Amino acid sequence: VNLPQGTLDLLILKALSLGPLHGWAISERIHDVSRATLEIPQGSLYPALHRLERRKWIAATWGASDNNRRAKYYELTRAGRKQLGEEVDAWAKLTAAVGLVLDMT
Amino acid sequence: MWLRALFRRAEVERDLDDELRFHIACETEKLIRQGVSPDEAEWRARRAFGGVERIKDDARDARGTAWIDAILYDVRHTLRGVRRRPGFAAAVILTLGLGLGANIAMFGIVDRLLFRPPAYLHDPARIHRVYIRERLGGTEYTEKGMPYTQYRDLARWSSAFDVTAAFGADLLAVGTGEATRRMQVGIVSASYFDLFDARPVIGRFFTAREDSVGAAAPVVVLTSAFWRAQYGGRPNALGQVLEVGSLPCTIIGVAPPGFAGIDDDLSTSVFIPANTYGASMHYVQNATDYYTKYNWSWTGMLARRRAGVTAAAATADLSRAFRLSYEAERAMIPSLPTADVAKPSALAAPIQLERGPLAGADSRVALWTSGVALMVLLIACANVANLFLVRGLQRQREHALRLALGVSRGRLLRHIVTELGLLAGVATAAGVAIALIGGRVLHALFLPNSSDVSALGDQRTLIFAGLAALLTAALTALAPAFESGRAQVAAMIKDGARDSTRRGSRLRAALLSVQAALSVVLLVGAGLFVRSLSNVRAIRLGYDVDPILYVGTNWRGGKLTRPQEIALTHRLADEARTIPGVTRVAFGMNPPLVAWVANDLFTNDHDSVPQSGRFAMKTASPEYFRTMGTRILRGRSFTDADREGAPGVVLVSAPMAEQLWPGRDAIGQCLRIGADTTPCTVVVGITENVKEVSLTADSGGQYYLPTAQYAPEYATLFVRVDGEASRLVETVRQRLQRLMPGASFVTVNPLRDVVDPQVRSWQLGATMFVAFGALALLLAAVGLYSVIAFGVAQRTRELGVRVALGARIRDVLYLILSDGMRFTVMGLGLGAAIAVGVGHWIQPLLYDEQPADPWVLGAVTDVLALAAVAASILPALRASRVDPNIALRAD
Repeated sequence: VNLPQGTLDLLILKALSLGPLHGWAISERIHDVSRATLEIPQGSLYPALHRLERRKWIAATWGASDNNRRAKYYELTRAGRKQLGEEVDAWAKLTAAVGLVLDMT
Repeated sequence: MWLRALFRRAEVERDLDDELRFHIACETEKLIRQGVSPDEAEWRARRAFGGVERIKDDARDARGTAWIDAILYDVRHTLRGVRRRPGFAAAVILTLGLGLGANIAMFGIVDRLLFRPPAYLHDPARIHRVYIRERLGGTEYTEKGMPYTQYRDLARWSSAFDVTAAFGADLLAVGTGEATRRMQVGIVSASYFDLFDARPVIGRFFTAREDSVGAAAPVVVLTSAFWRAQYGGRPNALGQVLEVGSLPCTIIGVAPPGFAGIDDDLSTSVFIPANTYGASMHYVQNATDYYTKYNWSWTGMLARRRAGVTAAAATADLSRAFRLSYEAERAMIPSLPTADVAKPSALAAPIQLERGPLAGADSRVALWTSGVALMVLLIACANVANLFLVRGLQRQREHALRLALGVSRGRLLRHIVTELGLLAGVATAAGVAIALIGGRVLHALFLPNSSDVSALGDQRTLIFAGLAALLTAALTALAPAFESGRAQVAAMIKDGARDSTRRGSRLRAALLSVQAALSVVLLVGAGLFVRSLSNVRAIRLGYDVDPILYVGTNWRGGKLTRPQEIALTHRLADEARTIPGVTRVAFGMNPPLVAWVANDLFTNDHDSVPQSGRFAMKTASPEYFRTMGTRILRGRSFTDADREGAPGVVLVSAPMAEQLWPGRDAIGQCLRIGADTTPCTVVVGITENVKEVSLTADSGGQYYLPTAQYAPEYATLFVRVDGEASRLVETVRQRLQRLMPGASFVTVNPLRDVVDPQVRSWQLGATMFVAFGALALLLAAVGLYSVIAFGVAQRTRELGVRVALGARIRDVLYLILSDGMRFTVMGLGLGAAIAVGVGHWIQPLLYDEQPADPWVLGAVTDVLALAAVAASILPALRASRVDPNIALRAD
């Protein structure tokens, strides 16, 4: 399934809301949680991460991965958590509205 | 993070690498866990990931630091390009450098002539130069010089100003003995220095007492330059005596460096008080004349408006004061027309002479030349834009490939802009260097007497250079940017950029035509000025110029008696006759164009000749007319019999005779000079009219009295030599100097030096237009050449086909040449239309020349056509040698 425009940021923020993750883990988590429906295009993941970092919605630290390698971990900032709230609301409204339209009989 | 990205770029890059590698490693491990072989796993992980470089690029973009990388990359790329193709970079830098240099240099001149106020002047906006205006004999005269008496009237009777100052200048002998030189001496009131923020380096300026009317002190203030040159900058110069004219003056102060006051022509060496000058220089009989009479006009006036007074109110106030002054003058000279006829008025104008009512043609020529320089810059821009377009075509495939590989159009555009920026930067440096060299030449042409020769002396010029460079880069980038925005990826890769020459050729053609048109405009201007100059040179002056020297005598130390002076001038004349190369020697009064004298005239028909003031009074010895080359139309010249005590005789010029005795024979008529009671001087001959006031304006006429009968002590010696007079200046000076008593000395000048300044504006116009026109033509020709040459290279295959199908060399030559001529003809039409359209503005600067001169237009057409052929002949010949075998296999 192709991601609708603009949803990647929302998904990343949501994925990070449970705790810090590195880039690969973010894509894996989204993949798994969506029951393999959503595939994050790798070409957009890192640009998106850097974009969010620049907006100060996520912050990055270097840490050791489970297999003891140097990995870059991302976590939500305060601003990022607020942004996530807003985007979830907006998404809920959108899907509800789209649902209403689709339920027309 | 942004800063970190900027300063620790390498680290950020490494981080990005690590992060992506880590991702791929994780993916690979996952696949291995799923049972895929390691090699296969890594390959699949990489493939799933996509282009690593592309992602890195996007990640950099997302961080907002990409532009730094991009610029650094573009800079490297540009430098690589310069190394690979130094010719291209050199062409761009040279073209823009010449264009910018011309403009920077011209800005310095125009700024100096029209805008920059004199150094140290306090609040220049409130300080005015005062002009006076009156109508005499049906002509309106506007003058900046006035009698000192009039200056005092205006200062006393006006109320709009808090400071008024008198300022004049005279060429006087300064110094004693061998060090004596004729120098420009500033003659200024004590209040003059109040207008400036200048403090003396040592000593002080004049006090009001030292400049008091009728009791002035012999004191002198030196300029810094004079102080350094003559006294080595030593403070003990104070109190020493410096001889100025024939007056020993005590040095009381030195002006700060760069202080030149307001010098209109020559740069000033020293300043003396106005009243000191007025009382001591014996041009008039009585030492009180200078402040009681109105017959010696030598001072200018400066005035500073009181706060709250407008310039218009100041002008009205001055006019009122001048009317009172005129009435006072008329009370003294009842023959003057009434104020209602003369309409005396005054004007408070800007301090810069070239912005006042007497602005010379020089500043207008300078403005025009600036316009011309701007056109050259436009041509240079068009040229460089074209070079970029042409090179862009060569790189079409490269660009298309880069676009296909995912490089954004914005990025390609940025590359062009960076490249241009770099080249424009270097070109600006080159331009400044060219301006430094060319500026000296221009300075010598436009401001020949100014001491300030620094072309880039102030930051105004440098700011201008920066702005001009920015504008140029922006203007030049326009066309290539526009073109790169239209690149069609698929088409270009497919065609292999081979047959796509027509694309964008319309823009190139437009640029080429504009270049050609601008060149035409400049060349037409050049033609008009050259014709004007030759017209001016062909004017019959009424005297010869090149073979003539005039000798001035300067008396110093112990005044000679009148008989002694006369005897000495005759000894000088006799000595001059013995110098080899000298053919004739004569006495006259002033050289033409330098100064002229008038006197009241009376005839039997007129109680007072109304236009007396417009007839120049001159004196002449018997040899004078043959020495000067002035023709005597009828009657006779003077003879030795016309000596002192003999009956008075006079020669009048033809137009004067016609005005005084219309329809009658002037010879034998009676002219009374000075008063209606003086004895008759009888007209014995008619001379041709001479250019007495200026080359292009006809003065009313002249009359000549025998030197022996009138003021022989004021005689000027005129020397006619074989060939160019200038080569004998030093010989004549040395031979005559030996006869001078004491500290007195002679000055010898070629008449050419007096005439040349009169021709200057046309000479300037001709020189500048020809120089810039040639530059423009060269640039346009190079532009045409590069485009045609490129076209030939692109069409090699097509030409090969044509040759293979039997086209002859002549056909190929014709094909390419006609291409070049197409642009030329378009440019010619456009340029000629513009030239004729704007021609009427330039008309006032021309002499006896119509803006739409067919001779000029024809010549320009020929020159342009020739240039076009020259520019396209080389590529055309190359095209004609195309070998179809090679051409068809190429690519």
